[in-house]
Amino acid sequence: MASLEIRDVCKSYGNVEVLKHINIAIDDGDFLVLVGPSGCGKSTLLSMIAGLDEITSGELLIDKQVVNDLHPSQRDIAMVFQSYALYPNMSVEKNIAFGLEMRGMPKPERDKRVKDVSQMLQIEPLLKRKPAQLSGGQRQRVAMGRALVREPKIFLFDEPLSNLDAKLRVDMRTEIKKLHQRLGATIVYVTHDQIEAMTLATRIAIMKAGVLQQLGTPQEVYDTPNNIFVASFMGSPSMNLIPATLAAHQNGIAARVSRSQGNDLLLPIPHPERYQSWVDKPIILGIRPEAITDTGSAEPNNPWVFQADCHVDVTEPTGADVYVLTSLGKKEMVSRMRSNCGAVAGQSTAFAFNMAKAVLFDPHTENRI
Amino acid sequence: MTNQEVKVSSGRFWRVLIYTTLIVFAAFYLLPLFVMVITSFKELDELRQGNMLSLPIHWTTAAWQKAWGSACVGLTCEGINGYFWNSIKMVVPSVIISTLLGAINGYVLTKWRFKGDRWIFALMLFGCFIPFQIVLIPMSQVLGTLGLSGTTTGLVLVHVTYGIGFATLFFRNYYAAFPTELVKAAMIDGASFFGIFWRILLPSSGPIIVVTVIWQFTNIWNDFLFGASFAAGESAPMTVALNNLVNSSTGVKEYNVDMAAAMIAALPTLLVYVVAGRYFVRGLMAGSVKG
Repeated sequence: MASLEIRDVCKSYGNVEVLKHINIAIDDGDFLVLVGPSGCGKSTLLSMIAGLDEITSGELLIDKQVVNDLHPSQRDIAMVFQSYALYPNMSVEKNIAFGLEMRGMPKPERDKRVKDVSQMLQIEPLLKRKPAQLSGGQRQRVAMGRALVREPKIFLFDEPLSNLDAKLRVDMRTEIKKLHQRLGATIVYVTHDQIEAMTLATRIAIMKAGVLQQLGTPQEVYDTPNNIFVASFMGSPSMNLIPATLAAHQNGIAARVSRSQGNDLLLPIPHPERYQSWVDKPIILGIRPEAITDTGSAEPNNPWVFQADCHVDVTEPTGADVYVLTSLGKKEMVSRMRSNCGAVAGQSTAFAFNMAKAVLFDPHTENRI
Repeated sequence: MTNQEVKVSSGRFWRVLIYTTLIVFAAFYLLPLFVMVITSFKELDELRQGNMLSLPIHWTTAAWQKAWGSACVGLTCEGINGYFWNSIKMVVPSVIISTLLGAINGYVLTKWRFKGDRWIFALMLFGCFIPFQIVLIPMSQVLGTLGLSGTTTGLVLVHVTYGIGFATLFFRNYYAAFPTELVKAAMIDGASFFGIFWRILLPSSGPIIVVTVIWQFTNIWNDFLFGASFAAGESAPMTVALNNLVNSSTGVKEYNVDMAAAMIAALPTLLVYVVAGRYFVRGLMAGSVKG
């Protein structure tokens, strides 16, 4: 177990820059998830941590030691690949023990470690089988076993769950989380699935086109996204981004939003002192679906909850909740209400906006104000 | 007859036609072999009476024994057994060395890519298609300089050189479909360059090893030109000796001995096909299906 620091790391293939000045530092025991749309460079970054790709510039430190020029086998890391990469000619047992064997560990100790790990992952009955005789979930476990048995400083996971079916994926996700809690290991995990990122991480790094957009705890990233990309990438359904104008309102500032029917809506914003220079200018109002509810489930003592009647366009029941869609500022807006809230498409209903959860973005730079 | 019955019966008609044609062609193709085999088991007297296609009246292995142990090749009359071993001594190391080198080349060209690797591969491929005749004189000079002219070792060198091209082609295409993540995983696990090759790649290369071995074995065993050019006399391979045996008849032409000798010359390749032929087809298909 160890800390990991990525210092101003760049990567380019010829003239193409795939990673631009990435800075990430995590502590011993952190679970870092690199998340982003495909092609954002997250897998390349992982390969560079593993030592499988060269670093063009910048430094990579594991346990405060620069490892830029160390061979993958000397970095004391273990990696779980998307395709599992089990050696097809070896039994499960040999697969797991291979790394130990290559490091010259004596056989009795190898056997003991393999036994411990296979017990932990419940793959003992499979030890004599070949990878071709295993199901996807079993292969996944073996791949994890191969990493665990090494007891490395850092575990690297490259989209390990993307080849599993939906149910198994959720189960394995929980199991990886449990494993992390039990071992307290440092983990770097790549995924494009923001739910996986939210559930597993202690630190999330969101990337786009080779640039780190935000690094923070899941809650930070979710509540205070740095920019519109992060806001819309994290969370499902994603954050509502409504064009609005800031206006002086009573003693504070409010966001003026046009409604499809009726006059403009004025939603007061907390901390008006921050936004003085933005009065009368256009902004993007970001507010998550769960911060817009029916009046009954709104927080009763929250002074920043405001009610307004809006026209309901569509309702989408999910069982537990119902997503009520309306349009505000000429954009579709999703709110999350109780399933018995009584909203009916085509009619007006009362929406409760929890403005304490709202974030404002600059429409030009797309950064949070 | 209903429509369906018509279809079934006309299908049967075509099937019969197709199989008949195939059997006729197979028989036609096998006829020379059949003649060779029965001739080699006949006595010389029987041959003179004609009846090339009839089975031997007295089955005898005399011709085989003579071909193996006492037939005259050139001036010595000790049969072809010495030359048979020459061929074995030439083929076995050539096949092993060229297959191994091809495998290593394929491994490097796909998993340890470097600048210009495509050019190297293109040049190696080009090497496959250089006609043998072109290299005869330069090759004999090289062998002379190395002091290997007229030896089996020299022949091994020639065949390895020529074999590397095809062996590399086979292995490169096979390994191109081999998941690179396995090599990466092995690297992280601490396996060395050759560790990965011996422990991960080679054990998964069964089909392509069989293909390469069959290909190299038949080509090298059947080679005549290099054998005749670089290893005449005592160290000549089987093919050259067979030619000499057929040409050095004194008096009566002993067709049965010739045929027996030819059969002996052909048996090893036949054996390799019978033993490994199944894998040959499978191996040829493997790359294409996966790729």
